[in-house]
Amino acid sequence: MKLSTLSLRARIAGMLGLLFMAGTIALVFAAQVYGRLAADKSYDRLLAGSALSIAETLSIDRGTLQVDLPYAALDMLSAAPEDRVFYRVIGPGSDTITGYDDLPGWQPPSRHNRLIALDSARFFDAAYRGEAVRFAVLGREIAEPGMRGWVWVQVGHTRRARDDLTRELVLGAVAPITLITLLALSVVMLGISRALRPLQRVGQDLAIRLPEDLQPVVEPVPREVAPLIDAINGFMRRLSCSIKALQAFIGEAAHQMRTPLASLYAQAHVAINEDPEGMRRSVAAIERNAAKLSRLLDQLLSDATVTHRSDVRVFEPCDLLELVHEAINEGVPHSRRWSVAVSTELDVAPFVGDTLMLGEAMKNLIDNALKYGFSAQEPVVVSLQTEANGYLITVTDRGPGIPASQREKVFERFARDDKGVSGAGLGLAIVRRAVASHGGEVSLDNRVGGGLTVTVRLPWRAQNSHP
Amino acid sequence: MIRHLRTLLVCAVLAAASDALAENYPAVGATVSSHLTIYSTTDTAAFQAAIRHFQRLNPGIAVRYKELESNELYEQFLADLTRGQPKADLLLSSAMDLQVKLVNDGYAASHVSPSARMLPSWARWRDQAFGLTFEPAVMVFNIDAFAGRALPQTRGELIELVRRDAAAWRGRIGTYDIANSSVGYLLASQDARQSSEYGALLETMGSAAVKVERRTGDLLAQLETGDLAIGYNLLGSYAQSRIASGAPLAIVYPRDYTLVVTRTAVLPASAPNPAGAHRFLEYLLSIEGQRTLANNGGLPAIRSEAPAQHTQRGIIDAAVGPLRPVVLGPGLLVYLDTQKKRRFMDVWGGAVGALD
Repeated sequence: MKLSTLSLRARIAGMLGLLFMAGTIALVFAAQVYGRLAADKSYDRLLAGSALSIAETLSIDRGTLQVDLPYAALDMLSAAPEDRVFYRVIGPGSDTITGYDDLPGWQPPSRHNRLIALDSARFFDAAYRGEAVRFAVLGREIAEPGMRGWVWVQVGHTRRARDDLTRELVLGAVAPITLITLLALSVVMLGISRALRPLQRVGQDLAIRLPEDLQPVVEPVPREVAPLIDAINGFMRRLSCSIKALQAFIGEAAHQMRTPLASLYAQAHVAINEDPEGMRRSVAAIERNAAKLSRLLDQLLSDATVTHRSDVRVFEPCDLLELVHEAINEGVPHSRRWSVAVSTELDVAPFVGDTLMLGEAMKNLIDNALKYGFSAQEPVVVSLQTEANGYLITVTDRGPGIPASQREKVFERFARDDKGVSGAGLGLAIVRRAVASHGGEVSLDNRVGGGLTVTVRLPWRAQNSHP
Repeated sequence: MIRHLRTLLVCAVLAAASDALAENYPAVGATVSSHLTIYSTTDTAAFQAAIRHFQRLNPGIAVRYKELESNELYEQFLADLTRGQPKADLLLSSAMDLQVKLVNDGYAASHVSPSARMLPSWARWRDQAFGLTFEPAVMVFNIDAFAGRALPQTRGELIELVRRDAAAWRGRIGTYDIANSSVGYLLASQDARQSSEYGALLETMGSAAVKVERRTGDLLAQLETGDLAIGYNLLGSYAQSRIASGAPLAIVYPRDYTLVVTRTAVLPASAPNPAGAHRFLEYLLSIEGQRTLANNGGLPAIRSEAPAQHTQRGIIDAAVGPLRPVVLGPGLLVYLDTQKKRRFMDVWGGAVGALD
């Protein structure tokens, strides 16, 4: 499973589980060390006591060292009931006076340390007769006539009781820790389940919705999830708007196409029964309506293209000047070529953008200017120049212009001016979308002395902007 | 080569000789691996019934029961080991201290079973030493010798009795020779530990020229004939059997305190047939084994559940004073300490042998 799709529960449980496990292991180790120390401490006292009770019976009798092993010395060690016990008394000549003479070796401390060692036993672990044995060694200085020196009493017992006590201590410490850990983990799991429940409810709410239901999600959610729900709601709002716009557009497009088609049908019907003169007129009318319909379809196609392209954003280096010329070549019939003039001081206008979209935009601008603003006296002028942070393209005509109050409206699809002069009504909408997706803007101004100026600003580095 | 042969021959002869001392209980279809060798301090007669019963329950196991003195048993076992030829599968000894020493020195294997857990805690140590019987150390009197006089019930009364008429009891008191009897030494050392009157008792017995024997049987035989009138610190079980067969003896559990010892089983780690040994030990610890030992061998059962004639319960009812079981444990090692033992023997020998 990929990490990014791993369940939140598994992530949190995994992290906490690891943490708890590491903690428990550390605690077990600590408890073991502590337990062993504690067990050694308590049983060492016993050993030392045993050694001391033996040491106290040391005496010299006729020049020989005597030990009267007290019954309690070994019996007291049965406080560790299952442990074997060993003892030895070592005389000043390092000879075993009594006891096990093969006990593991032990180096008597140096002379200096002997005084310190007095009365306090020394402890060490060693293997003896197949088992680990803990030993205590106690020294006594003997200074009697006939014998001088140090006598050492060594007492040991196997570690069984110590190990049992250690185990008991460790278990006593670890059992509640483990219990609490498990409890904490289950509480966390429960908490996660409860925390994720709002998400499940949101998911169920969305899952059972009808496709057209774009109402915002009202399910209360934790603060951390609120941005996600806000985003979903915002997205649905936009989706709802664009679906509405699409529906309106389809309705309008159908309506727009119906009118010329109806005219075509009527004129064709009339033409059938006309005399040649009337028929010629009717056919001319049919030709006009067909042209209108063709233009409408062009624009719809152009609009679809621009919409699609603005979504996919295929930006590449291009030349705006060449683009303008191509738009004129493709969009203006040869017979009217004179009516469009290009004014620029640039030889080349490098730009990074979508040539298709920009081309459609230019074609629509020129087409609009020719359609609404044509005057025999003055050609439509397309000018291209650079400014501080991009290109400035203007298309000017000597048409009637657009009143300020109408200027925003004409950018909408299927907009018409007040007088009902209808274009396809898509042209400026296409221009705006194409320019906006390059990070630029379009504005309209009436000219002094009549006419309209359409100003397009295209900033450099359009590829970095996000329409 | 010839010398080797000769050595082998000598060994074979010796083995045959030692075999002569052992009681063999052959089994039909027994293989080498199903031979069980037991070293024991208990009279063969007391164990016969138990072994037969065990063999009925476990057909195919041949048992070799070798009777030894307790010191002998201890030394024989170690000697076998030193030779690298361990023979014993099970060691049964009334010398609790020597058995404890074997366990302490690491020669024992563990035997864990529910039956073993049922033993009183003083009668087991480390899952390696197990008490099989419940045997008080008693005073035994020849009734005829007392002729209607009251029997002393405590050590104090015994001391007083003897002191009052030392001449009358001279040579008529018997006890174990602790130099040669391990159980005698065990009992004497425990007396020394438990009783403040022990010194006086020893002195009194010494002054009355106490007679010492290494075997209980010898002491009881002399008590029965009247050569001895007083037996001190004898294992009650043997006396009980003699009374049962009509001997004019009386048993007194000392009222000041009565020591209780137990025949102790140790399963050597070196046992050639450990499976058989575990099985036999388990049998001895089981209710059935305990009952057989008590009813047919006169060895009082240690498990209180064993419904036998001479059980721990029966003895507890009979004894008036406190029972002091000798605890199986490292404390018993103290009197095995060479210096301690030498000193103790010196004192004992001095008292007992002084006026001999």
